[in-house]
Amino acid sequence: MQIRLVSALLASSLALGLTGCTPADDSALVIYAGRSESLIQPLIDKYSEETGIEVEVRYAGSAELAAQLLEEGANTPADVFLAQDAGALGAVSKAGLLKNLNTGILELVDQRYRARNGTWVGVSGRVRVLNYNPSKVSDLPESVLDLAKPQYKGRVGIAPSNASFQAFVTAMRFVEGEAATLEWLKAMKVNGVIYEKNSAILEAVESGQVDMGLINHYYWYARAKEVGTENMTSRLTQFASNDVGNLRNVAGVGVTSSDPKAEAFVRYLLSAPAQQYFVEQTFEYPLIKGVQPYEGLTSLSDIPVPDFDLNDLDALEQTLDLIRQAGLL
Amino acid sequence: MPVGYLLLRLSEGIEAAAVELFRLRTLELLVNTGLLVASVSATALAIGVFQAWFIFRTKLPGAPGFAVLATAPLAIPSYVLALGYISIFPWFSGFWASWLILSLATAPYVFLAVSAALMRSDVAGEEVARSLGLTGWAVFWKVTWPQIRTSATASTLLVALYVLAEFGAIAILRYDTFTRAIYNAYRSSFDRTAAAALAVILVVLAILILLLERRFRGGYVALGPSNAKRLRQPTKLMPAIVLTLGLVGFLAAVLPLVALGNRTLIGRSEFEFSVLLEALSNSALVSVAASLLIALFGLATAIWLVFHRQRLVMILEATIWSNHALPALVVGLSLVYFGANVTGLLYQSIWLLLIGYLILFLPNALAAMSTPLSQVPASLTEVSRSLGKSYQQILRRVVMPIASPGLLAAIALAMLTVIKELPATLLLRPTGIETLATRMWQATEDLAYSQAAPYALALVIIAGLPALALNASVRRTYSEVNQK
Repeated sequence: MQIRLVSALLASSLALGLTGCTPADDSALVIYAGRSESLIQPLIDKYSEETGIEVEVRYAGSAELAAQLLEEGANTPADVFLAQDAGALGAVSKAGLLKNLNTGILELVDQRYRARNGTWVGVSGRVRVLNYNPSKVSDLPESVLDLAKPQYKGRVGIAPSNASFQAFVTAMRFVEGEAATLEWLKAMKVNGVIYEKNSAILEAVESGQVDMGLINHYYWYARAKEVGTENMTSRLTQFASNDVGNLRNVAGVGVTSSDPKAEAFVRYLLSAPAQQYFVEQTFEYPLIKGVQPYEGLTSLSDIPVPDFDLNDLDALEQTLDLIRQAGLL
Repeated sequence: MPVGYLLLRLSEGIEAAAVELFRLRTLELLVNTGLLVASVSATALAIGVFQAWFIFRTKLPGAPGFAVLATAPLAIPSYVLALGYISIFPWFSGFWASWLILSLATAPYVFLAVSAALMRSDVAGEEVARSLGLTGWAVFWKVTWPQIRTSATASTLLVALYVLAEFGAIAILRYDTFTRAIYNAYRSSFDRTAAAALAVILVVLAILILLLERRFRGGYVALGPSNAKRLRQPTKLMPAIVLTLGLVGFLAAVLPLVALGNRTLIGRSEFEFSVLLEALSNSALVSVAASLLIALFGLATAIWLVFHRQRLVMILEATIWSNHALPALVVGLSLVYFGANVTGLLYQSIWLLLIGYLILFLPNALAAMSTPLSQVPASLTEVSRSLGKSYQQILRRVVMPIASPGLLAAIALAMLTVIKELPATLLLRPTGIETLATRMWQATEDLAYSQAAPYALALVIIAGLPALALNASVRRTYSEVNQK
């Protein structure tokens, strides 16, 4: 008797406790976000506040979420996929998992920064840069390919598991060819110091653990705002003109369910206030007309990038193969 | 079942998996992992035996205090230990860093096993050897070592298993072993065959070590309660030994905790208490739910075992196997595959996470629960039965009153263990649920140590210290049973 009572109690309290943390009642908008929580959650909170729509966010790496979406297929609980780079979006789109976006939404953004097939759209722009410590680096490389030289041994922070790095490698494959890319990656196995994320590389360059690193531009600006530009130890630089190390990429968004709230959220990301948020809070480039980039940033179209179509970033699988062949993953 | 799915998954991409297995990278991981496992095991063995010998066999001032200090690292999850160090020394990474952290974290396992063996072993031999004029070293090697060798070896092999399965500390210290590679392959690759292939190698390695361990386990010669106190010898090296024991304790517990406390103070201006509270309540909720589930399954099995005592040994044997052969990361990974493809309903729900915890911690809990239950004298249950009482009545009137304190301790211990779990939680947590461990992990990935520190301290205070205390009481019951 007593035992039955106890187990009944256990069972009911279990059930009770769990309803409290069972996620996703159907009305909530579920976002898979491959961007860091500290950058994007405030914007999502603002959206929830303004619209009253409940939002659930799953944070993880862009590639991890893309793989998850591919694995889940049509059963995915996600409504929106917010990715760190165009490659992850492209790969999910290729598998037919992204719905077509309304042309009204697509046309808000320059066609260089959205999907050819209309399934995803960029929401903010970013540029690959070399972050370096001026007191330790007097031999700045001309090209990102120079980082393979012996003089940079053990001096370059890279994040091979990070989507932005992978997108850059994909671009390198297109611009420089497979063989040269593999050779470069193998050299980076020796010259590189591996971190998990861009922010970790910046932290390491700032604190002097590593001399330089390949990151996205906005991490530096975010930190500079936090601690004061005059207190920054490290600097940013671009590589020479047309170098693939200057890759211009976008963080973008695609819709994975027919829930109208999903498309409404995309529209929100491309509204002036949200774009202004990216400018002021994440220091990325706005992608709609009428919103100016953060002061001091070279305008996106003036970055000396090579000729490269972001839609080609979806060939990520081969890139990962190369990175793994080089022993970096 | 989930592991079966892992294999199924692998067989689908057998060619890709084979390519994966025979890459240079796999060899590199194998060498890295092997090096770490071997060096940490050897170091933990040396530290543990050193501590046990001088604490229990010499006239060491403050011996009980040193005994507590020697077990203190058990209260600190190894990834917290790693965080403590890297927050003071940002360059602290790679092989040597991982070696130091894991040696400090695992030495207590050897210390406990060897201490128990020292307490149990016959001291007459040592006394005779000494009276015949052998030096302390010679006594140790010729007389004592043969008696403690079995426990020392067995516990060292357990350390090896621990290092093999370790994920958090190694990832924080950026040393490339199988676990880190599995996690990165899983995280950044579209083709998850690679992660599955590496996970299978990890399981095979674990089973190999386990087979070795089996050869050494058991076979203790218990020769009645010994009078260990009588045997405490003075030694001239005492100051050096006190210093060494103190240093190990300082490195393993004091320094990292002070560092984390300091970091917490530094970061307190940006610290959001509400986020910590939320993580805390999630941790609590998840661990309470998991421990109730574990209690439900554990009790049912354990009670059944009370009435079928002959099965007890067999079942415990089996659980020890499953417990060690499956690193948490592998359990997490296989449940992700399983959940996403087979049971859409469970996928990304709290239930899948709970199933993960159940697989990981039921074996331990079952072992802990069996002890108090087996303490109920068989004669009592037999007499009750002869008096015509039903099973239910016997349970209620005889078994439960005697066993319940021990059972509660076992359940509480399971709960605290769940709070500290990192890799499976990382892979299986439902969308939007962050626990203390995952919050700490994310901050660490950003190298934001000041943000990570409060979570780390909370983990030690809420889960580590109580678990250590409970563990001690569970161990006491164990040794009492062993002496009967």
